[in-house]
Amino acid sequence: MIGGQAARRLFYAALVYLAILGAAAAAAPWVAPHSPTEQHLDRRLAPPGGVHLLGTDNLGRDLLSRTIFGSRSALLVGIVSVAISALLGSLVGLVAALSPRAVDNLLMLVMDSLLSFPTVLLAITVVSFLGYGLVQVMVAVGVIYSPTFARLVRVETLALKTEGYVEASHALGTPLAKVVFRHILPNLLGKVVVQCSITFALTVVIEASLSYLGLGAQPPTPSWGLMLKDARDYLAQAPWMALYPGVALALTVLCFNILGDALSERLNPKL
Amino acid sequence: MRKTARLALLAAGLLLLAGLAGAAPKPLTFALSGNPDTLDPQKTAGTLTFQTVRSLYDTLVEPDPQGKLVGALAERWTTSADNLSWTFTLRKGVKFHNGDLLTSKDVKASFERIKAKEFASPKASEYAAITAIETPDDATVVFKLSAPAAPLLAALASGWGAILPKSLIETGHDFANKPVGTGPFVLKEWVRDNRIVLAKNPDYWLKSMPRFDSLIFQIIPERAVQVQGLIAGQIDGSDIIDQEDVAALEASGKVNVQRPLTALILVMAMNCSKPPLNDLRVRQAVNQAIDKQAILDVAYGGGQPIGTFMNYGNAYYKDFASLYPYDPARAKTLLAQAGVTKDTVFEMVLPSNYPPHVKAGEMYQEMLVKVGLNVQIKQMDWPTWLKDVYTGAKYDFTVIGHTGKLDPDGTLGGYGTEKRYVRWVNAQTAELIAKGATTIGYENRRKLYDQAMEIMAKEVPFVFTGTSYRRIVTNKRVRGFRMDPVLDTFDFRYTEVQ
Repeated sequence: MIGGQAARRLFYAALVYLAILGAAAAAAPWVAPHSPTEQHLDRRLAPPGGVHLLGTDNLGRDLLSRTIFGSRSALLVGIVSVAISALLGSLVGLVAALSPRAVDNLLMLVMDSLLSFPTVLLAITVVSFLGYGLVQVMVAVGVIYSPTFARLVRVETLALKTEGYVEASHALGTPLAKVVFRHILPNLLGKVVVQCSITFALTVVIEASLSYLGLGAQPPTPSWGLMLKDARDYLAQAPWMALYPGVALALTVLCFNILGDALSERLNPKL
Repeated sequence: MRKTARLALLAAGLLLLAGLAGAAPKPLTFALSGNPDTLDPQKTAGTLTFQTVRSLYDTLVEPDPQGKLVGALAERWTTSADNLSWTFTLRKGVKFHNGDLLTSKDVKASFERIKAKEFASPKASEYAAITAIETPDDATVVFKLSAPAAPLLAALASGWGAILPKSLIETGHDFANKPVGTGPFVLKEWVRDNRIVLAKNPDYWLKSMPRFDSLIFQIIPERAVQVQGLIAGQIDGSDIIDQEDVAALEASGKVNVQRPLTALILVMAMNCSKPPLNDLRVRQAVNQAIDKQAILDVAYGGGQPIGTFMNYGNAYYKDFASLYPYDPARAKTLLAQAGVTKDTVFEMVLPSNYPPHVKAGEMYQEMLVKVGLNVQIKQMDWPTWLKDVYTGAKYDFTVIGHTGKLDPDGTLGGYGTEKRYVRWVNAQTAELIAKGATTIGYENRRKLYDQAMEIMAKEVPFVFTGTSYRRIVTNKRVRGFRMDPVLDTFDFRYTEVQ
């Protein structure tokens, strides 16, 4: 394990990177030096330096601009699909925990069967069925990751249900909805936020994988996965094509994981 | 004493090793980009199968390096005055791999097999004109036709026109896995998704051919791996090398690179039944927005621009390439006249399994955006593309390459009618093309096709982009490797290996 001081530094470094990433994604049209889709056919596979700071790809598109705009696809898919899985999963988990045994079993059976599929394969199946595109990827990934949230929320709720203050509130005749909102949800929040951060890293990887396979972002939309796919054929001649999206992807995933770990220590202190 | 014995043993061992090395020269290893679905030449339309079985089977006639059809298993042939009866005289002394002698009965059995309804060959329709096959003697086959059919000769020369032994057809032999033909090589082993090993047929009818003993098709789907294999000398040849890899390959000093033209007709098809693409001005504008040479150079590694629906280099090709030159300003004017604005969304469907077409699609899209069109790209897997686009015409633009055909009817047949995926209807063109199929003689047919291709060039149901070059890379120890024109199959009979 990394010691307290180092861990804190790592946490702040991750925060700074993610803040920069978020800012770059939000301000992409103003930050990017070129259009991410404009092709300069006379400057194909230009090495880094000069007009194109990070070089160009096989169609003469500016790699810096594409990497910056690519963060939008990654973050958008991350935010939307994490939101879908957190909402859907928490709802299912909550209902399961508060329902009679039979309903609980049924809901968890459905969730467990979703969990039993390899994630990427399930995502490919869903996207092949719905059609290729980022929207479809968001829906697919959102649904696929909901069981983790459902499991988490169900277990926590079952534990909270037996806490003295919750039982007391229930015994005093407080309506169920009020109990849920006042006592259960606030106590779940920390764990769910940590799970969100970890899931975010996973969805970024899935988006890149599906785009790499041609099932996610459709060209010419810039996406790191799509850029890596384009780069694959030019690894020998233009290694820089793979470098930036690869590094951006790796750093983003790493930082979300660091964030998740740090949050988990802060929000769920172990006594 | 003991020492001497040991030395003698060592010497004997070394001699044995040397003997083994001398007896088995390195086989020729050629890269194949995928696993063939079957090795039954009559049961598929897949190029990978024909590239493999070209070395296992022969056809009655075959294309020479210039694309002219010459005799193969048939020594010569004549047609009757009314063109309804074609008589082929077979070569004598040709043996199948199982020892059977080739006779006219085998030819009859082979074509009856592919024509049989229950056999359901995807290529059966190419032999539809044949009503009866007669075998007056062992060396003579007579095809009786319902109508004059010019494209039939090309169908006899194609991979699916392979001749199989009658004795095995009758016993329901498993040709899909155990091919038996008259070809220059015999199948030794087929390891799925790995390699296909062939050995020389010592009784081949072309004397002193083939000129090497062992041929291995190594199945390597990944292009980068093929390139590394060529540089390392692990494989001796590949026909699907990208222009971008040529520099590294040439720098290795180990290979020869040839750049012949393919027989592809590379196009961006337009759905002419959907407004506003039913308006000729819009289709002209789209054509003038496209820099064909740039697309050929960047997406397809170089090629010759064309102006109509025929591959450059085909005997029937006529040049209309200058009809709608690259002129984005003119394209904008035409679009303004036709009243097309950014509110019209065009969907460009791309087959995701063909990276060059996807790359070309990205370039077409950018060029069309530059003249003010709103074009969205949508990728599809190949089966969906075939169903939705090629059959169902649910698209606005799509990018694809039409493989060349030995006969012009194979390329042009059906165009001008509702049947083809561009949904471009032109009765005059359809009539000219239909007439071309029943007319015999190059000059007579050429007159008809010239007119049909001129209408297509002017009406532009496609952006006719061009015919690309292919890059065949072979190790320097390999000489005389040939590819059959148009068919894209490998002819190893003239190949020598050092």
